[in-house]
Amino acid sequence: MKKSFLKKGIMVMTTAFMLAACSGNETQNANETSKPAEKPETGEVNLYTGRHYDTDDQLYKAFTEETGIKVNVIKGEEDELIERLSREGDATEGDLFFAADAGRLHWAKEKDLLQSVESETLDQNIPENLRDKDNQWYAMTKRARVIVYAKDRVNPEQLSTYEDLTDEKWKGKVLIRSSENVYNQSLLASFMELNGEEAAKEWAEGIVANMARDPKGGDTDQLKAVVAGEGDLAVMNTYYVGRLANSTNPEEVKLAEQVGVFFPNQDTNGTHVNISGIGVTKHAKNKENAVKFMEFLSSEEAQKLFAEGNNEYPANPDVESSELLKSWGEFKAQDIHLNILGERNADAVKLFNEVGWK
Amino acid sequence: MWIRNIKWQFNSWAILTFVFVLLILLPNLSVFAQLFTEPNENWYHIKEYLLKSYVINSLTLVFFTALFTILIGVSLAWFVSAFEFPLKNFFKWGMVLPLSIPPYIGAYTYHGILNYTGVIQSELRNSFDISVEQKYFDIMTMPGAIFIFTMFLFPYVYIITKSFLEKQAASLVENARLLGSNSFEIFYRVIIPISRTAIIGGVSLVILEVLNDYGVVKYFGIQTFSTAIFQAWFGMGDHGSAVRLAGILMSIVIVILVLEKLFRGRRKYSFSTSKVRPIQKLKLTGIKGFGMSAYFFIVFSFAFLIPLAQLALWAFMTYDIIFTEEFYQLVWNSVFVALIAAILIVVAALIIGNYTRLSNGRIAKAASKVTILGYSMPGAVIAIGVITIFIGLDRKLFPVYEAIGLQPTLILSLSISMLIFAYVIRFLAIGYNSIESGFDKVGQSFTEASRTLGMSVTQSFFKVDLKMIKGAVAGGFILVFVDILKELPLTLILQPFNFYTLATKAFQYASDEMIQEASIPSLFIIMISGLSIFLFHKILEKEPS
Repeated sequence: MKKSFLKKGIMVMTTAFMLAACSGNETQNANETSKPAEKPETGEVNLYTGRHYDTDDQLYKAFTEETGIKVNVIKGEEDELIERLSREGDATEGDLFFAADAGRLHWAKEKDLLQSVESETLDQNIPENLRDKDNQWYAMTKRARVIVYAKDRVNPEQLSTYEDLTDEKWKGKVLIRSSENVYNQSLLASFMELNGEEAAKEWAEGIVANMARDPKGGDTDQLKAVVAGEGDLAVMNTYYVGRLANSTNPEEVKLAEQVGVFFPNQDTNGTHVNISGIGVTKHAKNKENAVKFMEFLSSEEAQKLFAEGNNEYPANPDVESSELLKSWGEFKAQDIHLNILGERNADAVKLFNEVGWK
Repeated sequence: MWIRNIKWQFNSWAILTFVFVLLILLPNLSVFAQLFTEPNENWYHIKEYLLKSYVINSLTLVFFTALFTILIGVSLAWFVSAFEFPLKNFFKWGMVLPLSIPPYIGAYTYHGILNYTGVIQSELRNSFDISVEQKYFDIMTMPGAIFIFTMFLFPYVYIITKSFLEKQAASLVENARLLGSNSFEIFYRVIIPISRTAIIGGVSLVILEVLNDYGVVKYFGIQTFSTAIFQAWFGMGDHGSAVRLAGILMSIVIVILVLEKLFRGRRKYSFSTSKVRPIQKLKLTGIKGFGMSAYFFIVFSFAFLIPLAQLALWAFMTYDIIFTEEFYQLVWNSVFVALIAAILIVVAALIIGNYTRLSNGRIAKAASKVTILGYSMPGAVIAIGVITIFIGLDRKLFPVYEAIGLQPTLILSLSISMLIFAYVIRFLAIGYNSIESGFDKVGQSFTEASRTLGMSVTQSFFKVDLKMIKGAVAGGFILVFVDILKELPLTLILQPFNFYTLATKAFQYASDEMIQEASIPSLFIIMISGLSIFLFHKILEKEPS
């Protein structure tokens, strides 16, 4: 009798904990128990993604409608998802890893977290330079890192290359975000590959010397600073311009009208392009579904959604870009293999620190 | 037989306490085990190029935020407890409300108000054709970050100082008044010295929050220890260096906590609780009263009204995109995990608190100190420790899963139990502090009386002690609940499949540079927290001191 109070207490706690444990699994358990007779490969596919765009949710829904396969999602930062995948090891429930940067995909591959995929559809839809050489990942969209300029202050004829931004004439005019940002890391990695480490370091030093202000905020903030007159040029990804053009805030729509987009290095080694891409995890439990999902993403229908919804360049060459992107015209991209961005990432980060790019 | 029974019971309190302590220590140890490896090349790189600015930035943030939260928090607390002025009864609890706004939401809201397309600049441009110098409107700076932290964290100082002043300061203040001191002298020479324990208690919470913040500093691009830990761990993939940084951060935190204890230990101004009565309030009328209300109103506007109004404006622009059925699921998820974790924390805190109170040993005291560990660790470090433990546990349990007809897969580590466990580790300190102070207030005499009358430790606990500290229990519960609702890094890293909360959704939109879309989840966090805080205030009011 005297012990019963304490026992009750313990029981309440254990039940609470069990309840918590179960309710988290509700969706999965429900799936497992309702289809016990079928192969485990029909019901669902589990996705770890570093992309948080609402248009992606529409894509998952469209896939489920078409195939009946449910898409379970964990949205996080790529680096944390990689850490999680590697800790889960062969027990992981994650079937797919979707990242918004080639460097991160390469890193996942290096850590032995991905596996090769054989699919005619994918090979047909995605050009060779947009996939891993061992087919461990495939690009789904492309984004160009371009120069955005204030139309009223800059004549696009003054612009030529990324290297030119380090010229004396742009002192105090250049806007670019922090070196913590992975798009910048990949940009510098590409220069290290194309121009050598010395030249890349000089470039980074030159940009630091020409910065209009300490790097801060996201890509959108750089564009705002251009229009506000803090600087004249911003280095940023194309789809942010597209997003402002379609914003719910009319003030932001006006912004997009006041800037021009310039593709640098057209006469030399091309504009820097990064991708977002997806691969099947090494220990995927639903590999067949995972491949189906990738094939779906590369299809015309899905690629159109990528293009229209988030203003990214579709990886599938048969699909047209959005009207806005088309209005900026065709461009020549850097000719390096995307794996390089990952291989040189750590060195790029260190180089940034050495030249004092915050 | 009777004595033995008592012993058994007491031991089971002890055992439970040590089980909790062990659960807290495990994930932390699993991380810190790596501290003793040789530093690698990355570490030398960090040391050479980065460490200095991490230290300077973190200390600058901490120093100035502490300074300003003290100035604002203590002055407000003093005015509220010593004066009568218009709208005082509203401001008295209104000043607690800024706690319902997580600093990262405050940060992007203020950036949204002030930036080029924000409401102020657009209005100036479109209606008056005025263009302003951007640097005066730039909040993404060190002073900006200090402003954000001060505005949304000062209530910690305010609450603790206020409840001290209301109960303890009456006779000293009244004597000083009799001796002819004016209000300024009293504030400076009486209030600050006597309430320094309370102030330090509040400020140390503020400092821990600032050191652990990830959202604000990342958004503003200020490199501090917490961004450095993320960068080393996830950016450079260097677990060892990240842990080393965390180790430095921990040492700073421990120094702060020890200092706090030292100050507390030397307090000489404690009063016997039997004499408690409120300070007789001076009535301020006319211009003085108006001025006082204006001061409160200005602080209240910057810390609550203005960000709230901006969020409401954005919500108006985006509600048709955001309000879907899935949104209600978000609300439910957030409330559900926060509730479960808060219940667990309160139960654990009660057990540890009751045990350490009744046994005076050093080990028991040490156990109570361990509870603070989780609160002083960066969220990311706890998260990785917890993941490691849960995956290990799952692997051990594979045979069990098979025996009961389940697939041998990751069940625990893909469920919200992992997330809830992490919350418990992180926020146990908050619940424990509240409950400990409740136990402190009632002392031991009632328990001893109950024991003399033949009740066991456990019976006394349920029939006597628990009833006497129910205010503290409720208060602790609410504080924990609100903190979990606002929590970010743990939830981001440990989320199970298809599980989003208001906080993760708001952060995703904000970090994706879609600030308008982030407004509705943010508003819901503020609404739910605000209501809870209002309840908390009501409980404190009713609580007999």
